[in-house]
Amino acid sequence: MNTDNRKYVLIAFIIIVGIIYSVRLFYMQVVDETWTLRAQEIAEKRKEITPPRGVLFDRKGKKMVSNRTYYNLMFVEAKMKHFDTLAFANLIGWSKEHVRYRFYEIKKGEGKYHNKNTGKTTSNYQKIRPYAFLKELTLDEIAVIAPHLENFPGFYEEVTSMRSYPYANGANIVGYLSEVNGEEIDEDHFYKPGNNIGRAGLERFYEAELRGQKGIRYIVTSALNNAIESYANGKYDTVAKQGPYLKLGIDINLQAYGERLLKNKRGCIVAIEPSTGEILALVSAPSYDPNLFIGKRNISANYGRLLNDPSKPLYPRPLAAEYPPGSTFKLLNSLIGLQEGVITPQSGFPCNKSMVGCHNHASAGNLPDAIKHSCNPYYYAVTKRIIQQNKKKSVFEDAELGLNKWARYMRSFGLGSKLETDITGLSGGSIPDALYYDKWYGNHRWAFSTIRSISIGQGEVMLTPLQMANVAATIANRGWYIIPHFVKSIGGKGPKAIYKKKHYTLIDRSHFSVIIEGMRRVVHEPGGTGKRAKLKDIIVCGKTGTVQNPHGEDHSTFVAFAPMYKPKIAIAVFIENAKGGGGLWAAPTAGLMIEKYLTKKIMEKDREKTILEANFSYR
Amino acid sequence: MRKQESLVAYFDWPLFIVYMLLLLMGIATVYSTAYNADYPNLFDFSQKYGKQIMWLGISLFLGLIVFLIDSDIYRKFCVPIYLFTLVLLVIVLFMPAVNGARAWLGIGSMGIQPAEFAKIGTALLLARFISSINVKQQTIQTVLYANAIILIPMVLILLQPDAGTFVVFTSFLFVMYREGITYDPLILKIVNAFPGVLFKKTWVGSHFIPILFVVVFLSIITLFMSNETITFESFPGIEIPGFWGVVFTLGFFGILGMIFLRFVSTKRERNNASLVIVIGFVLSTILASIVNFGFQGLASHQKVRIELFLGLKEDPNGEDYNRNRAMAAVGSGGFLGKGYNNASVSSVESNHVPESETDFIFCPFAEEWGFLGTILLIGMYLFLLLRIVFIAERQRSTFNRVYAYAVAMILFYHFAINLGMNIGFAPVIGIPLPFFSYGGSSMMSFSVMMFVLLKLDSQRRDVLQ
Repeated sequence: MNTDNRKYVLIAFIIIVGIIYSVRLFYMQVVDETWTLRAQEIAEKRKEITPPRGVLFDRKGKKMVSNRTYYNLMFVEAKMKHFDTLAFANLIGWSKEHVRYRFYEIKKGEGKYHNKNTGKTTSNYQKIRPYAFLKELTLDEIAVIAPHLENFPGFYEEVTSMRSYPYANGANIVGYLSEVNGEEIDEDHFYKPGNNIGRAGLERFYEAELRGQKGIRYIVTSALNNAIESYANGKYDTVAKQGPYLKLGIDINLQAYGERLLKNKRGCIVAIEPSTGEILALVSAPSYDPNLFIGKRNISANYGRLLNDPSKPLYPRPLAAEYPPGSTFKLLNSLIGLQEGVITPQSGFPCNKSMVGCHNHASAGNLPDAIKHSCNPYYYAVTKRIIQQNKKKSVFEDAELGLNKWARYMRSFGLGSKLETDITGLSGGSIPDALYYDKWYGNHRWAFSTIRSISIGQGEVMLTPLQMANVAATIANRGWYIIPHFVKSIGGKGPKAIYKKKHYTLIDRSHFSVIIEGMRRVVHEPGGTGKRAKLKDIIVCGKTGTVQNPHGEDHSTFVAFAPMYKPKIAIAVFIENAKGGGGLWAAPTAGLMIEKYLTKKIMEKDREKTILEANFSYR
Repeated sequence: MRKQESLVAYFDWPLFIVYMLLLLMGIATVYSTAYNADYPNLFDFSQKYGKQIMWLGISLFLGLIVFLIDSDIYRKFCVPIYLFTLVLLVIVLFMPAVNGARAWLGIGSMGIQPAEFAKIGTALLLARFISSINVKQQTIQTVLYANAIILIPMVLILLQPDAGTFVVFTSFLFVMYREGITYDPLILKIVNAFPGVLFKKTWVGSHFIPILFVVVFLSIITLFMSNETITFESFPGIEIPGFWGVVFTLGFFGILGMIFLRFVSTKRERNNASLVIVIGFVLSTILASIVNFGFQGLASHQKVRIELFLGLKEDPNGEDYNRNRAMAAVGSGGFLGKGYNNASVSSVESNHVPESETDFIFCPFAEEWGFLGTILLIGMYLFLLLRIVFIAERQRSTFNRVYAYAVAMILFYHFAINLGMNIGFAPVIGIPLPFFSYGGSSMMSFSVMMFVLLKLDSQRRDVLQ
């Protein structure tokens, strides 16, 4: 048997295997993309770099909200060697059990993964991945730990950026940040677990701007998840871009001063620059130090306490709280009366206390004096004329017509619905119309006598302090307003378009001067209710309000603007449960704020002392 | 006796040059893969590349010694050499286990693997045995003797356990097949036991080994392909199930074989061979179908088990994910590769492909040099293997021929299995790529094996036996 031919079998095997392998390699390497993608998945990691958030400046360029470097203490279990739990616990000042529990907590927190193919359930926690053992340490805290980390292989520090507030003011304006939740991650792919998101205030409203653009680095990683080098020399990388800075209309000094004035009180101050609608100060009292809400540790330590505080420091009163405007509302009823032609500047009504109470003063012979004295019967008469114009036979139908007309005027001042201010947490207040009362009393079952309290800003009328200030600004502008807003410039590019548009009221410009004259008399003439707001060289126009409150002491309120000509500031002050009327507490507070803003110094030292010492924060 | 100057007179330079090139390419790849920036020097002996160069020196030195020894020595002392390697295989079983196997003899990184050297001992003894018998009158006894020579070291290796080298030892069956020692006597004994049956030889018995090889090779490839779908980037609509890819390939080789026959054979031979090809194609297709549809028809948990065993599915917690990683590395190489030193998946530093400097050294090479590099490397190995077959066929003595074939088939096995596991055609059984992989033991044993062959070949005219 000759077996020489069998060599061809062996040669054929060698050649065929060679050819098959070559074809296979051609397919794998050149034709098929699957393995290239798989290799990218394995070795090339997309690393997102979260930029620091945009910074907030006040109107003078002072940094209100900035960023500060913090440190996370990270660990990779696979790299830990000879871990001395006790020594580590001593280093960070914990107990041994606490350290052990923290490891357990991290592992548990990662959740489990169920593999359908193999039926195995494995923990998502991976020994080769870094996890934060301690988060958000300050430089001082990490400085104690860092030098000893070489004794604990597998542990290292990582830099993160968090907010810092050089001024402890304006917490209710700027809001705060906290970690995104699962829903937010699902909704917006920008966010990854551990990222922060604006939770309230401007941080939330301007989230899209402030968060900036994430940078993406493609890196070649090892099986241990270490970065080895940048992929393709960084050809595909994008640079993280910090969000644009926001320049606010807030004057941080004025804001701080306002917060000081309202110490030990509950209430609000809202100051607006009438010509631009920029909010100069928005004080909510009591408030809190925004530095209490930096990072997870601080939030968990302070949030619950502040949330349950009966004085509601987290509640942005100037934006959200709805108060009856009280007598300040008489300004608007005056304007509507003039516009409707039911009164003239010379109209006089006796101070007849039969329908509605009043304090002792001479009867007003004209409109400015009625404002000066804040005469309730006068406004009862004025508003009755507005509501009941005798255009319909039925008094009820007549009231319906009149009220709806009245409500339309009121809405043109931005009342009865939310202003489009650039912040979250706004309320709209309430301006009742016919429909509103129909619900209460039934159609055509009510007339002016039923709803008369609206004439003096009580009853169903509700305004937020922001709206009150905006009314003051509108009067200061003689008939128009720009929606009050915080941000005067986004990254140097000016405000949003809606904050450039003038909104005109339904009141003719000509009717304002008489009202403003009345407001001047309130402050500057003897017998005026707001004389405590008077300043030496500046004409302040204002209107007091004393809001009856069934639950306790009257609220003290005051709206004003100054100077009388070319006004620079419009303001509303509202102090809850102050023992005394608007003239006693709110007017001097407004006066001090105006003085502070316009002259940068306080001459009225006694007035300041009285306000600072006043304490209405009892329950 | 020869004169001294004839020492290299019949030296086979082409074989030696390919051997040296593979070694140097291997070192270059190890240097790139295991590169440590702290020790940039290629000759730093604390690093794998430095060590590999040291092993190269030692291997060449050993080769020189082997080459200086008269080839008669190997013929005369093949029994002691064989027994010596057996003794080493026994001793190694009492050594402490490294990575679950008692395969290493010696201390730390300076150890050797007796199994590597047992291949040489077995090859020599098998050559001696086959050259001493008349294969034309083979009996059950001679078949059993020949098989015993292979089986004894195989059993000892399985005890370590070292599945890879165990499989490699079956390459000797091809050598026996080439020399006419087949399982035919055994099969005849069984078949002729039936009354009235008297075969002188059976076709299956004679060609049992290559048939077995084809069956196993085809089955494994079909299994691996049955889960794949062949797609083409330029023709997105076309999707070929992996199974049909196998059938097409079989048909392609059938037609190729037919064309090949037209040029090399007479008409009568051609008719016979054509019949064999047609029958072979039909049988292969049937086999592939059975494997494919049998596998698809399995209950899912059985399927998963087989898939995991073969490394078809990535189990992140299991050890079989190497294959998937290796294929990603190879496949991402593209046509031109990522460039020397630019392997992102398979560098030792990244550690995505374990053993990327030893058993999976093909990965970094393929990733860095792309298809151009891999086709060149396959070409070089084919040249090496065919050159050894050529050398085997030019020997006058049976001993030399058997030994040469043994070397060829051992290297072929290593080549086929090692590359197979890098490209998803073979299960992951750890055997090195000859001359290329990092490791002193394999480099030394393959070098000694090569130099014994070169020596026998250079003295081929001296011997007649």
